[in-house]
Amino acid sequence: MEKKEVTITNRHGLHTRPATTLVKNASGFKSDVNLIYKGIRVNAKSILGLLVLAIEPGAKVTIEANGQDEREAVEQLVALAKNKFDME
Amino acid sequence: MKTIKGVKISPGIAIGPTFYFKRDQFPIPENRIKVSDVESEIARFQQAISKATVELTQVRKLVLEHLDEDHAKMIDGQLLILRDSELINLVSQYVRQENQNVVWAFFEVLSSYEKILQGTDGYQKDRAVDLRDVKRRVIFHLSVDDAYLTPNLKEPAIYVCDRISPSDLIHIKDQGALGIISQIGGMDSHVGILARAFRLPYISSIANLEEVLACPEIVLDADNEEIVLNLSDENRKIYDERARQHELLNQKLLTARLVSSSCDGVPFRVLLNIGFVQELKTIRPQSVPGIGLFRTEFLCIERNAIPNEEEQFVAYRDTLQAMKGHPVTFRTFDFGRDKLIAMMDLEVMHRDVAFEEWGGIRFCLDNPEILHTQLRAFLRASIYGQARLMLPMVTRVEDVLEVKKMLEIIKRDLKKEGIKYRDRFPLGVMIETKLALEILEPLAGMSDFFSVGTNDLALYLIGSKRDENLAKNYYHPVIFRAIHKIVQAAGRFSLPVTVCGEMASDPFALVGLIALGIRSVSVNYSVFHAISDEIRNIRILETKSLTERLLQEENAVKLYKLLRDFYKNQMCAIPRK
Repeated sequence: MEKKEVTITNRHGLHTRPATTLVKNASGFKSDVNLIYKGIRVNAKSILGLLVLAIEPGAKVTIEANGQDEREAVEQLVALAKNKFDME
Repeated sequence: MKTIKGVKISPGIAIGPTFYFKRDQFPIPENRIKVSDVESEIARFQQAISKATVELTQVRKLVLEHLDEDHAKMIDGQLLILRDSELINLVSQYVRQENQNVVWAFFEVLSSYEKILQGTDGYQKDRAVDLRDVKRRVIFHLSVDDAYLTPNLKEPAIYVCDRISPSDLIHIKDQGALGIISQIGGMDSHVGILARAFRLPYISSIANLEEVLACPEIVLDADNEEIVLNLSDENRKIYDERARQHELLNQKLLTARLVSSSCDGVPFRVLLNIGFVQELKTIRPQSVPGIGLFRTEFLCIERNAIPNEEEQFVAYRDTLQAMKGHPVTFRTFDFGRDKLIAMMDLEVMHRDVAFEEWGGIRFCLDNPEILHTQLRAFLRASIYGQARLMLPMVTRVEDVLEVKKMLEIIKRDLKKEGIKYRDRFPLGVMIETKLALEILEPLAGMSDFFSVGTNDLALYLIGSKRDENLAKNYYHPVIFRAIHKIVQAAGRFSLPVTVCGEMASDPFALVGLIALGIRSVSVNYSVFHAISDEIRNIRILETKSLTERLLQEENAVKLYKLLRDFYKNQMCAIPRK
């Protein structure tokens, strides 16, 4: 299991579009990928959980992966979050 | 006696217990399914998801074409939820492992997400709304043939709710509802039209439903716009008698005879406007000479989406069959802003006012796939009775030509497919815009009848502003002259003219219309029998003396008085049969 904390810096938080980008990228890994926010763990390959968490700008979230490519998954997804999910 | 005041939506009176139905609380069947049914149950869910997706994609396209990307994006959240593989996985898991029925499983899954949403500090209203919309839409598709959505009345009761949808109303009517009380809901709402058609007493704008629900028995007195909470024995007799009278009137209306001419023998037709196939249940075809206006867009409102060809075909066929050979005039979808919002059933859209008016036949021609589906359904149904087609808000000659062209193409396809249709049927044009008034003769030359939509015509010609001394904007010389012009132009082509709209339901205005040569009107069910009675009792030939004076009058107030006095003196002086 691999995990790392990252701050969401998108202007409107993790809203629909960045969440979609996260899902798309997370789905590319074989490992189970979760996002943890305020103690709630949701599947990062599913938009539902991410939208429902309503993650605000400046929020700290943890990306967690479990499986054969867990290390790459966490690294790449954290980098994606730092890069504002290729937006803005 | 304690009473609460409200707003009358539909007249009448009812006495009985209350039944509370919360629109967002769906009765969820908690039965488990057989192991052998698991896969078909999951397939049913996937079908519902794909139907909901198709529907929302269509809505998104419409919004994008007529508004902009920002508005279309408001729908994306819901589309993403529908495409979410986890949603399908979780629901399938519940069905497979727990043998829950799919409605139950879907609810459990969405509820778990709603719980997370409520637990976050950054509670977002939009997300809650998205989830609710998705829930309603998917459940709708899961329950088209089932009764999941149906509020179940255990005994005849007065139905109390926050708000009520047209389909709810149809369900509770079938279950013996006595009347309706709601928090939200207006006179012009489709539910209101339907309640009046069903003659169900209805009061809205009641803020405190709790108080009403706390009473074991109430009186819903829509005629006096009040609810009586505690009925004394003394008053009970009075209310019982009024309720009995209301029932008697309903019975009388059910057995009314057909009116086909005035008392001096001039042929005249009072036709009916309808919007829902279910409304036909309330009428006897023997007492109605025909449907002068079938508002097909109501089918979309009831469904919260544009119905597919098969659904439309069934609705049109059933209507024609129920009318047993009497003519039925189907008006193609006439979407205005309000109707589109209602159809989309998207809470996010209610907050927005950016929709432009884009109604009538132009909307359909701009969205040819919608019109194509409708015309195909119409042509297929046309063999089941006397079907007529009518185009709303026509502004150009091309509007009619393009529809005719499309009809020919569809006929060719149907012929190839070996599907029956009627080759010749009356095609009419609604005259309700300024531009149509300028091209009356060419329009008359290419159509089989005119129908005057007086509500829109009055709005286009003089705006919603009215003389402060008059209750209605149509008491205006410009309107009567326009109708005169329409009747004259139609006369040169021997085209029949029907008036539909509020003017036809107003006895004073009606006399004016008759004086101008109108011999056919189409009105809502709530006034149908009253207007039939008017026609039965008037001497049409006498209105000839009114025509000249009516056309020369320059002043709206004087025009109103002229019509009123003529009605009172010339019409009512005649002994009623």
